[in-house]
Amino acid sequence: MANPTADWEKVGDKFYRKIQLYTAVFDQDLELENYIVTGCSYGGAIALHRDETKLHSFRGSQASKSSIDLYSCAGKLIRRINWDKGSIKGLGWSDDEKLLVVTADGTVRCYYDLQGDFTQFSLGHGAEEYGVTACRFYGTGFVALLSNNHLISVSRYDEPRPKLLATPTEGEVHSWTLIPPAYTLSRSVEVLLSIGQTIYVVDASESEDRMLDIGPFTHISVSPNGKFVALYTETGKAYVITSDFQNRLSEYDSKSRITPKDVQWCGNDAVVIAWEDEVHVIGPKNAAAKYFYDGRVHLIADHDGVRLITNDVCDFIQKVPDVTDEVFRFGTESPASILLDAVEQLENQSPKADDNIQLIRPNLVEAVDTCVKAAGLEFSIHWQKQLLKAASFGKSVLDIYNSDEFVDMCETLRVLNAVRFYEIGLPLSYEQFLRLTPEKLIRRLINRREYLLALRISSYLRLPTDRIYVHWASQKVRVGSEDEDTICRLIVEKLAGKRGISFEEIARAAYDEGRGRLATELLNHEPRAGKQVPLLLNMEEDEIALDKAIESGDSDLIFFVLLHLKKKLPLASFFRVINSRPVATSLIEATAQADDTELLKDLYYQDDRRTDGANVFVREALKQPDSKTASDKLTLAAKLLADSKETSFELKSLQEATTLLKMQEAFDRDLTETFTGLSVNETIFKLIKLGYASRAKKMQSEFKVPERTAWWLRLRALVSKRDWNELEEWSKLRKSPIGWEPFFTLILSAGNPKLASIFIPKAAPTLQPGETIAMYEKCGMRVKAAEEAVKIKDVETVDRLRNLAGVGTVEGREIERLGAGLKRP
Amino acid sequence: MVPHVGFDTDQIKDKARKDLLYLLEGVRGKKNLVLERGLAGPINLFVKFSTLQEYGVDKLFFLENGNADVSQRNVVFIARGESARHAQSIAADNIKRMQRESQTGHEFSIFWVPRKTLVSEKILEEAGVLGDTTTSEFPLYFLPLEKDLLSLELEDSFADLYLRRDPTPTFLLARALMLIQQKHGLFPRISGKGDNAKRVAGLLARMRQELIAGEDTNETSKLGLTPSTTIESLIVIDREVDYATPLLTQLTYEGLVDEVVGIQNNQADVDSSIVGTVPQPAPGSSKTVGAAPVETKKQRITLDSSDKLYDQLRDTNFAIIKSLLNKVARRLQNDFDSRHSTKTTAELREFVNKLPGYQAEQRSLKIHIALAEEIFKHTRTDQFSRLLEVQQNLAAGADPSSQHEAIEELISRDAPLTEVLRVLCLESCISGGIKHAHLEHFKKIILQAYGYQHLLTLAALEKLQLLLSRSSPMAAMIPMSGAGTVAGAKTNYTYLRKALRLIVDEVNEHDPNDIAYVYSGYAPLSVRLVQSILQKQYLTSITRGGNANNAAGVPTGGASQGWRGFEEAVKHARGATFDEVQKGEDRAVKARALLTGSGEKKIVFVVFLGGITFTEIAALRFIAKQEEARKRIIICTTSIISGNRMMDAAIEKGSLGKAIAQPVE
Repeated sequence: MANPTADWEKVGDKFYRKIQLYTAVFDQDLELENYIVTGCSYGGAIALHRDETKLHSFRGSQASKSSIDLYSCAGKLIRRINWDKGSIKGLGWSDDEKLLVVTADGTVRCYYDLQGDFTQFSLGHGAEEYGVTACRFYGTGFVALLSNNHLISVSRYDEPRPKLLATPTEGEVHSWTLIPPAYTLSRSVEVLLSIGQTIYVVDASESEDRMLDIGPFTHISVSPNGKFVALYTETGKAYVITSDFQNRLSEYDSKSRITPKDVQWCGNDAVVIAWEDEVHVIGPKNAAAKYFYDGRVHLIADHDGVRLITNDVCDFIQKVPDVTDEVFRFGTESPASILLDAVEQLENQSPKADDNIQLIRPNLVEAVDTCVKAAGLEFSIHWQKQLLKAASFGKSVLDIYNSDEFVDMCETLRVLNAVRFYEIGLPLSYEQFLRLTPEKLIRRLINRREYLLALRISSYLRLPTDRIYVHWASQKVRVGSEDEDTICRLIVEKLAGKRGISFEEIARAAYDEGRGRLATELLNHEPRAGKQVPLLLNMEEDEIALDKAIESGDSDLIFFVLLHLKKKLPLASFFRVINSRPVATSLIEATAQADDTELLKDLYYQDDRRTDGANVFVREALKQPDSKTASDKLTLAAKLLADSKETSFELKSLQEATTLLKMQEAFDRDLTETFTGLSVNETIFKLIKLGYASRAKKMQSEFKVPERTAWWLRLRALVSKRDWNELEEWSKLRKSPIGWEPFFTLILSAGNPKLASIFIPKAAPTLQPGETIAMYEKCGMRVKAAEEAVKIKDVETVDRLRNLAGVGTVEGREIERLGAGLKRP
Repeated sequence: MVPHVGFDTDQIKDKARKDLLYLLEGVRGKKNLVLERGLAGPINLFVKFSTLQEYGVDKLFFLENGNADVSQRNVVFIARGESARHAQSIAADNIKRMQRESQTGHEFSIFWVPRKTLVSEKILEEAGVLGDTTTSEFPLYFLPLEKDLLSLELEDSFADLYLRRDPTPTFLLARALMLIQQKHGLFPRISGKGDNAKRVAGLLARMRQELIAGEDTNETSKLGLTPSTTIESLIVIDREVDYATPLLTQLTYEGLVDEVVGIQNNQADVDSSIVGTVPQPAPGSSKTVGAAPVETKKQRITLDSSDKLYDQLRDTNFAIIKSLLNKVARRLQNDFDSRHSTKTTAELREFVNKLPGYQAEQRSLKIHIALAEEIFKHTRTDQFSRLLEVQQNLAAGADPSSQHEAIEELISRDAPLTEVLRVLCLESCISGGIKHAHLEHFKKIILQAYGYQHLLTLAALEKLQLLLSRSSPMAAMIPMSGAGTVAGAKTNYTYLRKALRLIVDEVNEHDPNDIAYVYSGYAPLSVRLVQSILQKQYLTSITRGGNANNAAGVPTGGASQGWRGFEEAVKHARGATFDEVQKGEDRAVKARALLTGSGEKKIVFVVFLGGITFTEIAALRFIAKQEEARKRIIICTTSIISGNRMMDAAIEKGSLGKAIAQPVE
């Protein structure tokens, strides 16, 4: 086996390695130089599209058809997407392997599964008029550059909201790139534009000139961690600066007059510059390594390195990881390398194996750890095995060693080797695998329809398998040739009892495929109403949708369905639908009350809810600006109640209300005071207060106001009018049905104790003996109070009153005299 | 795995604050904030305006006013997503108007509370502004009003639930409880009373199924779906079961403050002539979110446990407030006078260190004396004592017709309509409707006294089943014992008054021995129902002729046995009764037990769907105090309610022929 260091190149004081991932990638006939090639991160798929700006040889009508071809890194064609939508100005990938295609007129297609299914949206913001010239992509979004230098940013694809960034200055953009929002301070995407000599940094709110004078730049590239920027000038110089434009870190002169095809970062430590068939890896301090190829090289940057694609090979260049360096570096005597050597000795049955172990005994744990880590970073299965063997051997010598990492690494490597296999073609490095996460790896496998492998890996790594089943089932309902019952049974059998299965997704797939009945049947197995309802509405299963929504108890969902139905159905059928469902009816009632009274009237009318119907009119009456129209509304309300016995009370009240309005109108006119808006009692009160007693009387009889109420009203009105004479006269005429105490209380609190006191003897018969004392006292009539006290022979009170009055005063003496007759205890 | 933490209401507060600030941070630069009026109070509970300013908030507007200006490029709306009205208002009155008014472009963001809804998005879409806005969710469900009190603060929840029959509050409550379950494990037992309460339990079961079916099936969420070891049970009481309690006038301090002044989101607007001399509290909190548009005449004071004095007073019967205030005043005086006796400088320093404490205490004492004075003014009136007398007679089961004269007098004297309706509704609730002829008479004189617009009010009350004629089918009582297998259609107070001993004659307001102290002799039925789950032994002892005093000391709770022992009594209250046990996989249960350890005090969640009164809260706290050694009680509700608020839900505000003065909707 070749020494792993054979492909190492020194760049400065660090080594870089080139790993050959796959050979014979593309057909030799494919003129790679005439294609736009973009690859997805994490060893994902590669999209090829013929570069329209280049001439190409005619090969018959077949080949001239425009298409986007998706390949795996190993060169296996995954899917050919025919393209007839005009010139492509942006072709890129998202982190979750969605292919984005942006056309000149600003239409964006998002192909979310590698199988040609897509969603579409357009950029707007003038994209159609000015045209898109180029796009730059990052993990979750992209930015499009228009011909007028406007920039449009899209930050997510599930709910795309194209946003215009700040407008940069005019001028030719020589090259540009972006810093993903995850790495900027502002949390929004920042765009770097090379205009003139300098660079502009543009974000959502401002465009800032960074005041450089070394441009113009033909290439700008930002490192994967967003901290550094590589700039390549027309003069063949490459600069590396920090992304805040504060420090210049290094400078490299390529001594080339030819503009390179591409400049990309290799990890965060080196920059890769690619010309037609020559590649330079540049490290700090002008150090460089050079690689030469036979044909045109395309670069695909990844998080920890860069992939090089030519017709023949797919290579991966990365910095040699520290642990790998430690194990394999020429001439190293690190414990790990000695341990590795020991295994070789062991295989040769040489006693030196034990010598080696003894030699590194103190560092054995560290050596084992290093070997485990290095194994993970190795692409060659031979060396993976060798390193794991070494670790295993070292472990066996140790008394205590936590093998968790070893076990995990073995598992991970099995998975990695499985997906790196050329038929799958996902050349994930260990670091990429960690970043990608196993779940997303499974998703990628699902998109490639590698269901079996996905299932195996999922159960091997103890991951949920629901998505795989759902995807499989969706495929099944799309392409399955069996009849619908069989398919449904097949799917339900296979998926029954498994957690997290989304039947809605499968049903949707079935529905999209035109298999409506199958979709309904499948949907019955979906427990989540939120998922069922929208699909049911799409399928025009309106009533089922409404029932499911009601079942869910989610008012939003119910209301959503109702809005939909209201718009869609004729009123009569809409009412028919909601009538049998009380929740639906009450929701419609509640909202209609605010904004659609006509609907409400119709609803009540057809449901024969007369009182409710009448109340709608009453409510309308309340909104009328004058009595006339209000009365009309009330009459309408009364009409609804006219021929029912149960509502006779309401009917009568409505008639009374109309009468009241009429009378008040007359009063308003005659008495130049406003009565409208008052209640019956208030009106009577006001009339008395203003001195229109006869009118008040008339109202009282008209409305049959109870005698007691009438007395109260008159009393209160007269008191507030301070009409003491009238009060006194009135009280002489008749016996009060409300007693005389209220007279006393109200008159007293209105500030006329003298008059109030008149009512004390009148009220006395209904009161407790002794209460009168306090009443007189409140009027300030101590003598009278004392008289009362004497009546009930309350000596203490008499004494108290006397003391209050003061012994020597006239009052005091009077009290003294009254009390004299009482027996002292 | 994340270490398991016990339930704490502060976590909820922290989370709400973090969520909001994170969202605000996402909108770059300065921004104007447009807030739904109903959310200002709740938000003020967990974040101060000054903090919002630090996060770039420049000006604050209310959504309802529609007057947000265009001074900032960024405009952030915060509104409840459940209401289609808000979406319309945002779209039409605000976004479109601003787009018209201003030449420069604007960035609109909407934070929907507590979730995005299909309907709101649809309305925005139809208005053609969805594309111009960024929408996100601000998952604000429960708001901790106190350490033991969580509220959704849905102002209209009472009207929504019982008048409009809108299931939204039920759904949101279930969602909120589900979030607790996801974090702390399933409620091992769910018991409850009332049809809507049952619906909540049903929704919880359903949401559990949906969660299991959801995509997210990793280990942690599975753990969330096993019975909790820190929570004992969930008790859900539907307001519908006991309408009578809130209709009575609350007699605790906090209850009366609410009745007289009104408390909203822990805050009361008091006439500054009452507490006018009180200096502004700490300057930092003076400019709170909601404070901006209040007229100068009102002063907003915060009423919560941060005010130590209030914490002592709030749950006591108002009868003893005077003496308590007195005591505090005297102690304060003593403490303060102690400065004369300081001899050494060390002592003096100690005294000076305590000074701010004294000042704060003095300030709060001043406020509460003023408040109590204001309430005394109210309670001393003739009208108040009349009302109280009528209420208590009705509650005690006196012949309702004997009270009619008094009620009629109140009407003739133009007593506030709310109060009149409260007693009438109380009568209807307690005695199973009002005799037809009497009811017609009352309706007539109410319409004459307060205006014919109240035809609508009366219709609403009937719909709420608060004011019914005895002949109405809805008022029908459940058959008396014997055939009583059918769930009650109406709460039978006559039966329950005995069975659960709702009337306790000898209450000691100073040192209460039964929850009845909160209404000076009437024990709220709703809380008695909770007691029949939590304090079986105590309740048995007082209902079986035993004296309340004897049993008060030993209220041991037969931990979780649902309604056992009180099945018969519970049948006589309105609505469905249920008691369910939630189980999980055995293995997971054990794992959970291992993780959290046991022996800790367990938590009981008592949920009042449709609102809770301050007196009921006081009563529940009284129980919590007795059960302190064994469990913690956390009270959850959709909103704080009172008889006045119940009436407000029904009362028609407009009047005939005067529409000009009324804002047209």
